[in-house]
Amino acid sequence: MTDFDHAAIDEILHSRVRLAIVAFLAGARSADFAAVRDATKTTDGNASVHLRRLEDAGYIAMRKRFVARKPQTLYSLTERGRRALLDYVAHLETLLPPADAEAGRDGNR
Amino acid sequence: MIENQAREDIAFIRRAIEEGGAYATASSPDMLVWGIAVAIGYLGTYGFIRGWSPVSPGALWAACLGLPWLFSLRRVARGLTGREVPAHGPMAHALAMLWFACGVFLTTLVIAAMVTGEARNGWCNAVVAGVMGIAFFAGSWLARLAWLRWVWIAWWVGELALFALRHQVEVLPLSAALMLLLLAGPGYVLMSGRARRAKA
Repeated sequence: MTDFDHAAIDEILHSRVRLAIVAFLAGARSADFAAVRDATKTTDGNASVHLRRLEDAGYIAMRKRFVARKPQTLYSLTERGRRALLDYVAHLETLLPPADAEAGRDGNR
Repeated sequence: MIENQAREDIAFIRRAIEEGGAYATASSPDMLVWGIAVAIGYLGTYGFIRGWSPVSPGALWAACLGLPWLFSLRRVARGLTGREVPAHGPMAHALAMLWFACGVFLTTLVIAAMVTGEARNGWCNAVVAGVMGIAFFAGSWLARLAWLRWVWIAWWVGELALFALRHQVEVLPLSAALMLLLLAGPGYVLMSGRARRAKA
């Protein structure tokens, strides 16, 4: 039996698309809407819904700017979002045997 | 069963972070800055030899190599001043280190060639082009950008042309053209990719 706590799983990150968005932004620092949509292989509408949900939860921040007179929406991970991702990975690691979990932590560094 | 799912989820997160890192690295303005700066160095040297420019090549190259280095090392400076430097995944880090190693090698080679007078023999430009080809060859795989393979092929074709012209002063404008087309050009395309995707 592991010490995995089902109640502690982050419901917001439990969606595959939202998890992909947060992980992508963790690597990218900031990315525009199209890059997030392409990286998560989803549609405009679907990406918008998930981005809004993450924004409402305070996991990502959104800002708008103009590039060559065209509006561009940029997203970045907040400290709260980064912490949530780390906690989520830590929860997943509690499901693994100790050696695997240690290897996973090394890989995430 | 649950263990396998957890492993898959962790691998999924790691891949997504890698993609984000590759996206950030590929969108960096460094290639554009270096391509323009080095092209100015070549064209300024050509202008000095032709008598069109009073700026000596030594001073010009000090600026054309020094300023891009300051720009590229801004992340290091950010870390030294205590500001947060975002961590990238291993793949993006490898890509950044590849360009860093190529930059150090080419800068030291060019300085050594200029100090010893070997730069006049012209072979240095072909070596620069060859190393650029290697960097783009590895970069196209690491950044998963298939179209960059045409850039490394072009660099290696350019290397042969530069070697053939090594004893002629026209090697300088040709080197400048290669820097603009094959370094600043891809840099601009990668940077503007964000704007193009946003419009799509």
